[in-house]
Amino acid sequence: MNRALFRLSLACLVMFVLLLVNINYVQGFEASSLAGKPGNARTFDQQFQYQRGSIVADGTGGPVTIADSQPVKGSNSTSGNAIYQRHYLHGAMYAPITGYDTVYGATGIESAYNKYLAGTSPSLAVHNLISLLTGKAKQGATVNLTVSPKAQEAAYNALRSDGGHQAAVVALNPSTGAILAMASYPSYNPNLLTTFDGAKLNKIDKQLLADPSQPLLNRAINQTYPPGSSFKIITSAAGFSTGKVAGPQATIAAPQPLKLPNGNTLNNDADEDCFGGHPQVIQAFLLSCNTAFANIGIKVGGPTLRSYANKFGWNDSTLTIPMQVSPSAIPPITDKSLTAMSSIGQLDDQVTPLQEAMDAAAIANHGKLMRPYLLQSVQAPDLTTLASPTPSVLSQAVSSQVASEIGSMMVQVTQNPNGTAYQTAGPPAVGSSLVIAGKTGTAENTVSGAGLDDAVFTCYAPANNPQIAVGVIVKGGGFGADAAAPIAVKIIEAYLGVH
Amino acid sequence: MPRGRRRTELLMLAFAVAVVLFAYANVGFGLNGRLPAGLAEYGLAFAAIMLVAHLAVRKLAPFADPLLLPLAALLNGLGIVMIYRLQESGRNGNPGTQISTISASTTAAQVMYSALGVVAFVAVLFFIREVRVLQRYTYTLGAIGLILLAIPAVLPDRFSEIPGTGAKIQIAIGGFTIQPEQFAELALAVFFAGYLVAKRDVLALAGRRFLGVDLPRARDLGPVLIAWGVSLLLLVFESDIGTSALFFGMFVAMMYIATQRTSWLLIGILLFISGAYLASKLFSHVGARFTEWLHPFTSANVFCNPTPAAHCVSSYQLVQGLYGMGVGGILGTGLGHGQPYFTPLVQSDFIMTAFGEELGLTGLMAMLLIFGLLVQRGLRAAVAARDPFSKLLAGGLAFAIALQVFIIVGGVTRLIPLTGITTPFLSQGGSSLLTTWALVALLMRVSDTARRPAPQPIQDEGMTQVVRAG
Repeated sequence: MNRALFRLSLACLVMFVLLLVNINYVQGFEASSLAGKPGNARTFDQQFQYQRGSIVADGTGGPVTIADSQPVKGSNSTSGNAIYQRHYLHGAMYAPITGYDTVYGATGIESAYNKYLAGTSPSLAVHNLISLLTGKAKQGATVNLTVSPKAQEAAYNALRSDGGHQAAVVALNPSTGAILAMASYPSYNPNLLTTFDGAKLNKIDKQLLADPSQPLLNRAINQTYPPGSSFKIITSAAGFSTGKVAGPQATIAAPQPLKLPNGNTLNNDADEDCFGGHPQVIQAFLLSCNTAFANIGIKVGGPTLRSYANKFGWNDSTLTIPMQVSPSAIPPITDKSLTAMSSIGQLDDQVTPLQEAMDAAAIANHGKLMRPYLLQSVQAPDLTTLASPTPSVLSQAVSSQVASEIGSMMVQVTQNPNGTAYQTAGPPAVGSSLVIAGKTGTAENTVSGAGLDDAVFTCYAPANNPQIAVGVIVKGGGFGADAAAPIAVKIIEAYLGVH
Repeated sequence: MPRGRRRTELLMLAFAVAVVLFAYANVGFGLNGRLPAGLAEYGLAFAAIMLVAHLAVRKLAPFADPLLLPLAALLNGLGIVMIYRLQESGRNGNPGTQISTISASTTAAQVMYSALGVVAFVAVLFFIREVRVLQRYTYTLGAIGLILLAIPAVLPDRFSEIPGTGAKIQIAIGGFTIQPEQFAELALAVFFAGYLVAKRDVLALAGRRFLGVDLPRARDLGPVLIAWGVSLLLLVFESDIGTSALFFGMFVAMMYIATQRTSWLLIGILLFISGAYLASKLFSHVGARFTEWLHPFTSANVFCNPTPAAHCVSSYQLVQGLYGMGVGGILGTGLGHGQPYFTPLVQSDFIMTAFGEELGLTGLMAMLLIFGLLVQRGLRAAVAARDPFSKLLAGGLAFAIALQVFIIVGGVTRLIPLTGITTPFLSQGGSSLLTTWALVALLMRVSDTARRPAPQPIQDEGMTQVVRAG
């Protein structure tokens, strides 16, 4: 019997070893992934017991802290330590970027980089262990963003002073894809949501959700609008790249009106006669003649047009900055009449302000589209850098040659006295030293209750050495040149420091 | 005169009591920075109870293993400390949320149960001077064990079901509940030992050899099939998977000790696996355990209505326990600093996750090693025992502790599917505590008998030989 007992004790040993190995796995290896699970009330409660990392706008004009955590006076948490409350130092201005961090959940950067801010990232494990051993309080890492405080401030103030239209703007560094500004209006004050009172939080949350002006919506990346004529950049890119259109100086038929194969007619915006119906492409571009670009669209064909749009980042549902970006959409069509509509940004074309900025940025950066991003670097509490992503190429949208051709057309939009944006983004508005290359868009928007069109402007500057690309959309703003271009100009001037 | 090592026991026991008192004080400091109320009362009471146990051992089982009592005391004490910590959560101005399933007198009750447990311990040592005598009551105890098991199944649900769990394993009269199956464990262990000692020769007879394993004769399969059937009935009528697995595992282990035949082990394991598989297909609640084990974090499994806590029958409880252990990490939050109150019914089956959260991986490993040591001392007593009945009984009981710890700790740490079963010595509740103390007393009795020096023959002129009574 002793032999059996001996074997049985081995079996007991095995059972205990299994238990020991398993708890080592759970508490040693799985701990950080458990901490990151949604609905983990313990970490949720814990996150207010130590200082969450700050969010800093570290672009040109920075660094400026836009979110930090401060101890609440006289407060006590479960562990007897002070409770830290989140503060958004600039309120609504940065709300689309920071998002909020509440006791129930987080959005924006607060959610996307929570592992750094909360200090649960595995890359912070050693730092946390050292804090533990030295008796220092655990602290989250600082997240530095590419956002330029100068550009962001100009962007938000420009949108706010625009007369209450719903609007959004994104500014990019064309050569890196770094997001310099991202503003949405109307916005909300994230400080309202930092309360620890669950009932109060619920009430405020309900109010914000019920608000018809949708303040919680980040229009810059999560709302799409018809692009209107700004889409002619993509149509030109497809025409030049495929060789169906020889170049800016090639002549193209621009009848007023254009008879479509399905019997409908397509008009120029003001039913204008576009250089006698036979303009060069560059002339049609600066006047934004619809029929000329409808013809280019028909020549190129729907599927090819769509494939060039895709190269600029359209129809991409996987793009994150790190927040998820709603895809800008060009529907797949082969019908010539519908292609004609689509190639001037009508029909079912949908675009985000970010995509507008990306279109201009690709042209500005010799046809190379950089992946847009917000994260500059992550800094541990001891100031060591944990992560600093390098810019990466999203796609080569067009050749450098085609990019410079389209760029020259965009310059004419603001510099030629007949250009659609001459008055608002050309010499009369910014003087002769700053040259902005842009394209206006005025999208007929039947949904827009006010009866006014959506105003779109996409541009980059300075034209000979692009440092900033901007996409603006003002819902119901009217003409792109009048409503959207001045906003872009204010951001560019603020960012470049010219006046 | 060989040494009984009672002084060693006293020293170790003092150490165990000191650890418990420090832990208890630590809870107070952790919660609100003060020494906890009742440190003197609870501390003295606990120390007194353990001293009584020690004095009883000195008198009744002077040669018993000196480690068993201190190990049991340490575990029992730590259990009381954790239950006190959980009771204080959110009470008396302490941080945390009140646990609705714990009342302000739960700790006092647990200390009282501990006292009763020690009474049972002393009673076993007092009345059972030789474990062998139990062999006489083999079938009586077998019948008692089966009746104890069956009572909850035949009672109406309102008397026998643990609210919200579906498990019909208790008898609730007024505010007082007992779980008869806990006591059945001991009765059945005695029955198995007695039965197997009697039948081991028959059972050890080989039938034919197949793939290197001696298969038993088909007609000898009866007992193992009956045990299997009973455990399945337990599972079906009382929804008590854990206990069912524990009893069957204990039976198979004892069968193996008795016959030394690997085939019994294999047959047992095969029967268990097929039974578990069948049950998971036939009964949704058993199948659900598997799903929750494999996919605990799937939202459909995690999110149930957390209030009232008892209505969480999905993986919510399991996941909360794991979250707690994750927060504890390597070193734990420290007693009183964690948030174990998030885990529903943390004071019973999930108490080990509370230890994992507040004492960390380090503390949890230490506690598992204490259990391991307890099992090892039990098996050692079995090896040292001279008669087959004592060997079987001690071996089976020691293995039962190991299996019980494996089932519950493995369950709450997601090593195996979770089945509700108490954690020996730690979980809140009297029945389990009483049974485990009695179990330790039986092991100590076996060990005492085994280590007692052999009677010295008195050499006389050679006419007669008087043997001093032992």
